[in-house]
Amino acid sequence: MLKELGRGMWTTLRSMFEKPVTIEYPEVKRPVRARFKGRHELKRYDNGLEKCIGCSLCAAACPADAIFVEAAENTDEVRFSPGERYASTYEINMLRCIFCGYCEDACPTEAIVLGDNYELSFTDRRQAIYPKEMLLEPVRGEGKTTPQKTEPGEFIRSIPLMENPKD
Amino acid sequence: MTEHLLLRHRDIPNIDQLDIYQQHGGFDAFRKAVTTMQPDAVIDLVKASGLRGRGGAGFPTGMKWAFTDKKNWPHYVVCNADESEPGTFKDREIMERNPFQFLEGVMITAYAVQANLAYVYLRGEFWQIASQLDRQIAELEAAGILGDKLFGADYSLRLRTHLGAGAYICGEETAMLESIEGKLGQPRLRPPFPPSFGLFGKPTVVNNVETLTNVPLIVARGAEWYRSFGTDKSPGVKVFSLSGCINRPGNYELPLGATFRELIVGRGLGVPFGHKIKAIMPAGASSSLIVATDEALNTPMDYESVPKVGAQLGSASVIVIDDSVDIRWLLDKTLHFFKHESCGKCTPCREGTYWMSHLAERIASDHAAQAEVDLLYSVASQIKGKCLCALGEFSIEAVLSGIERFKEDFVS
Amino acid sequence: MTKLVSLTIDGKQVTVPEGTLFVDAAKRVGIDIPVFCYHPKMEPVGMCRMCLVDVGRPMIDRATGQPVMDENGAPKIQFGAKLDTACTTPVSEGMVVIGASDKVKAARKDIVEFILTSHPLDCPVCDKGGECPLQNLTMAYGPGETRFLYDDKLHLAKQVPLGELIYLDRERCIQCGRCVRFQDEIVDDPVIGFFNRGRSLEIVTHSDPGFDSVFSGNTTDICPVGALTTADFRFGARPWELKSTSSICSQCPVGCNITFNVRREAASGGKTVIKRVMPRQNETVNEIWICDKGRFGYHYTESDDRLTTPLIRKNGELTPASWDEALGLVASRFSAAGEGLLTLGSGRLSNEDLFNLRQLTEGVKGKAALYTHMAGGDLTAQVGVAPGTDFGEMGKGTAILVAASDLYEEAPIWFLRIKQAAERGATLIVANARPTKLEAYASHVIRYRYGAEAETIAAMTVDRGPTTVAGHPSSVADASKAFAEAENAVILFGSDGLGLEGSQALSAACANLLVATRHVGRANNGLVGVWSRANDQGAWDMGLRPLTVDRRPELQSAKAIYVVAADPFGDDPGLLATFNLQPATFLVVQDLFLTETARRADVVLPAQAFTEREGAYTSGERRVQRFYPAAPARPDTWPDFAITAQIAQKMGSILEGRVPAAVFTQIAATVAAYAGLSYRKLAETNDQWPSVGSGVRRKGLYFSGTAYENKQGVGIHLPLSPTPLPPVNMQSFHLQGEGLLAVPVTCLYDRGQTVYPSALLHQRIGEVWVALHPADAERLGVVANSRVSLTLGGAEFDATARLDESVPQGVALIPRSMGIPINGPEAVEIRAGERVVL
Repeated sequence: MLKELGRGMWTTLRSMFEKPVTIEYPEVKRPVRARFKGRHELKRYDNGLEKCIGCSLCAAACPADAIFVEAAENTDEVRFSPGERYASTYEINMLRCIFCGYCEDACPTEAIVLGDNYELSFTDRRQAIYPKEMLLEPVRGEGKTTPQKTEPGEFIRSIPLMENPKD
Repeated sequence: MTEHLLLRHRDIPNIDQLDIYQQHGGFDAFRKAVTTMQPDAVIDLVKASGLRGRGGAGFPTGMKWAFTDKKNWPHYVVCNADESEPGTFKDREIMERNPFQFLEGVMITAYAVQANLAYVYLRGEFWQIASQLDRQIAELEAAGILGDKLFGADYSLRLRTHLGAGAYICGEETAMLESIEGKLGQPRLRPPFPPSFGLFGKPTVVNNVETLTNVPLIVARGAEWYRSFGTDKSPGVKVFSLSGCINRPGNYELPLGATFRELIVGRGLGVPFGHKIKAIMPAGASSSLIVATDEALNTPMDYESVPKVGAQLGSASVIVIDDSVDIRWLLDKTLHFFKHESCGKCTPCREGTYWMSHLAERIASDHAAQAEVDLLYSVASQIKGKCLCALGEFSIEAVLSGIERFKEDFVS
Repeated sequence: MTKLVSLTIDGKQVTVPEGTLFVDAAKRVGIDIPVFCYHPKMEPVGMCRMCLVDVGRPMIDRATGQPVMDENGAPKIQFGAKLDTACTTPVSEGMVVIGASDKVKAARKDIVEFILTSHPLDCPVCDKGGECPLQNLTMAYGPGETRFLYDDKLHLAKQVPLGELIYLDRERCIQCGRCVRFQDEIVDDPVIGFFNRGRSLEIVTHSDPGFDSVFSGNTTDICPVGALTTADFRFGARPWELKSTSSICSQCPVGCNITFNVRREAASGGKTVIKRVMPRQNETVNEIWICDKGRFGYHYTESDDRLTTPLIRKNGELTPASWDEALGLVASRFSAAGEGLLTLGSGRLSNEDLFNLRQLTEGVKGKAALYTHMAGGDLTAQVGVAPGTDFGEMGKGTAILVAASDLYEEAPIWFLRIKQAAERGATLIVANARPTKLEAYASHVIRYRYGAEAETIAAMTVDRGPTTVAGHPSSVADASKAFAEAENAVILFGSDGLGLEGSQALSAACANLLVATRHVGRANNGLVGVWSRANDQGAWDMGLRPLTVDRRPELQSAKAIYVVAADPFGDDPGLLATFNLQPATFLVVQDLFLTETARRADVVLPAQAFTEREGAYTSGERRVQRFYPAAPARPDTWPDFAITAQIAQKMGSILEGRVPAAVFTQIAATVAAYAGLSYRKLAETNDQWPSVGSGVRRKGLYFSGTAYENKQGVGIHLPLSPTPLPPVNMQSFHLQGEGLLAVPVTCLYDRGQTVYPSALLHQRIGEVWVALHPADAERLGVVANSRVSLTLGGAEFDATARLDESVPQGVALIPRSMGIPINGPEAVEIRAGERVVL
């Protein structure tokens, strides 16, 4: 009996010197894996133009019907994305979203990307609908925010010119 | 040297003057036809002569005339003087130098199919020939050879020239008809063929300049006489336009069935600068490339023999290619031409010539891998047999034959 | 009787009429041959080469002329060296067609690869993506990947406005020519064409303004790629997100079957809105076409100016009120008015609305009247076209008389169908005081002076009258002979230059002519009214009659007037004086907008638009067709029949006000011609040819992916009223006065309340105009396109003068609903205004 007790005490004693598996969230955050599927982000090109062209393919692919897209036409005066079409409305209902990532797969311009953020909480169901302003990533570096005034004829195509594979 | 039948101006100076032409029997044939012959008799005579279309297809001329729908009137005759095939310049010489014989041919044809109006459709670049023909038509009208109640018979005829705007496709007979009607020069769907549904929806005979220039002599001298020239199946004489790497390029009138050697060596005096003949394109840019072997050079140039060496006689515009020429360069030039001239109506030709031209450009500039040569060959085969008219089908002849028969040129 | 031939397509035996094309023959047995340029409504051209098939014909022994047999005794089949285009090759006896061999599959793959070399493949941003024949056929037959180098791709203009309504994307265009051929062959408005050649071949417009055709929208439907898009729908939605609702166009009496495509829209605050209007196949009505007014004119239903709450006049001002209060007030005043209640309804209402209106009015022994400037709806019910009538079948042996109607402007689809009937050999007689577009296809043109419409048609009955028109060397006598001798004959009468009185005389003359020539009571025979509104015929059938001169006392003695879907004061500001209306008359207006009449009303009731509710219209041909609710209704509005029923309820009588189907049941029980009809019957469809369908179900791989399918009813043609036709007394009608005569004409795009809210159409609508003969203009000192002022019926108006040699001298054409109120021919005074420097 004493032997069992001693073994138990030893286990306790030993675990006191082990590295704890828990972390002190939210002060400390665990980095996510490379393929983690968190909150969506709408990406921009380096010049700040939005990659999203409002094609609605993400909404079509979405198994939970969480995405609502509405498109409008760009002009050189008021340009959001390259080409003619941009998303004037882009909303994701995070309560519906199952983070399957089909929207990423469907996206022809790699505009929507499931990011690292998993801290989604709301106090109201309406807050669960993330509008475009929340989803768009901030402008980086030299880029300007949208809408931009652009040179005529510079961004006439939705999908920027591709290059042939070089090899 | 025997007498020229089509290039008669080479024997008779100033035959482009009406009085000179008439002194040499000019318009006797037309008068004979109108005053003494039934229209069907003229058709039968031309049938008997075995005359075949000189525009390229070699269709029996008399048979074509006989196909005109006799229940649908009026009839039209349209002479195809669009001569746009690269390497072809025979019609131009005939119209410039021997115009009255040509016009008489048009007029006899019109009589044979009882058309009261005939058009001469010339390519846009032939504007000076058109104005010359207009003058000559006016002369004929003044002389009472053209107009109403000709020679006292109940037959009236008017001639009109019509200038195209410079499109190769308008040499295709239905595109030409569209062009005369004032529409975009794009070929029509066939059937129906022009003899039943042609200009303005009426039966129309369309013939080449050279074909019609034969007609006055056939009417004047008879079918038997005409059959004494050429071969049994391809009777008559033909003007061969000789160009390319040759010492003496030009038009040569020879009987059909003369060999390539007779033309190239005998008349053209061979290739210059000691080069060797490498290939022959017997029908301009639309032609397959023939490897210039001895056998090929000894092939008689007629509608039956040329296919045996893998080409068509076509309009007989013989382009000689010597061993200084890279076939890749040749294909690039040819395809550029077809791309530029495709009318765009049917998909394979519009897109195919565009694609091939890009590939050929890369291949010719030595920037292409073997895979691209294979691709070019594959694209060309893909066009084959799918086009609306002959332009698309001909655009690949040089490509397929060039890649098949001159493999060594494509090894980089 | 056409000869039938049998052939084998992919092993299936087919028997079709001689001359049928392979594609169609194959479609009959359910085999789809892929096509791009071919369209069953147009002549084949064989351009795209997509439909290549292997065709074998029985070998014929040249010596005997008999088919050669193989060892099994079956005819030997000889296949051609090349593939044939299925869209251009007619069938012949014993043919064997193979559309599924490796050779054919390879050929199709090759063609798709060729087409895609120059196609931008920007499906994600393309409006056609999702219902695109090119997409569908690429998935079904394409190579999967291209060998074409991207660098070699052509880059062309993406946004070329052909006009203000239609945009061209030159990159997407595959040069199939469907749009060009549609404009040339089908509507004969050759305003677009090909330009340049080869890979540079492009579509251009020849007209100014660009793409000047009232049928232009149809080219976007038949475009097999997203090259042509409408300004209205550009980037509006993806096709798979749209919900479809069947409806009937309410712009003219043709009754085109349409589909409303709706979707929720953030820009409208999350409301479900109409995104586009598409034609819906009904081969006996509009085939698969609609006009641009029907396609783009629906925006009024979404206007922010719509009434949203009842209004009651308090202290001289219209102030919002509750339904209960408004209906209570209306009911009490209507009850008090009793016999003095006059109800004025228009053909914009559905049959159910009109039925309830009449029930309510007659319940208190009031009078219900139809607000219109055209008469003859009673005649069309008796001598109208009988069931089975189809303009699409008319051809040789049929005479069509179009009297006093500019069909291109009044009913474009009838213009189209009659033009085609004429091209098939029908004898077209066009009688009008001025040249109209339809005359180009007419075998007889009758020109009369304005005011002599009825006289002229009457002259046709008795075979006299030497009137000839320059360039058309035929007389009234020739025309009437041709009309009388035709096996079948139809008359369409309109209101070009006519008021109610003139129309009455004309319709009577037309009816008499039909009776006299025995062209009544049979299919493809009879009288058709080219009404100004969609359901004028239904209003007549529901028993409403126009306020003719002899009925004026009714208006003068009215104590309460109930105006529904009409704007009499807007159309004639002098009405108050003309009819001596008392200020004490209680005026109730039930409408969509605060019209001129509504501004004068004591109570205004907001109604629902036809897009928001159910109902049934009766077309000019007397085909009853059902429409369905497409968009959600505005809160606090009711459909007209329900408002009427609620008023009735408050007056103590019970009318059906819950569902229109129940009202329709009552109509079927009360109105003889509608006996036996029900909503269920109106929703029945039949097999139509050419069979179209949505590409989603692969049914439409045949020629398009666009949703034309009719799944909710083709409508039912009403039988003719059995009452024998009494000889109609034709009232003689003469114009009064001297000087310049103003006559009303209809133009397609006007400033009416159901058109003008579509901002897209403003350029086509243009300025308020008056058209004069140059000689008259010179006399008046008016120059072309200058402003003039005119005095009409005592009021002053400004307009732009159009000078047109086709206008008869001494006449000024004034368009209806363009701002100058004109109800019939009357004297006008025109003075040159300030000159406009152009």
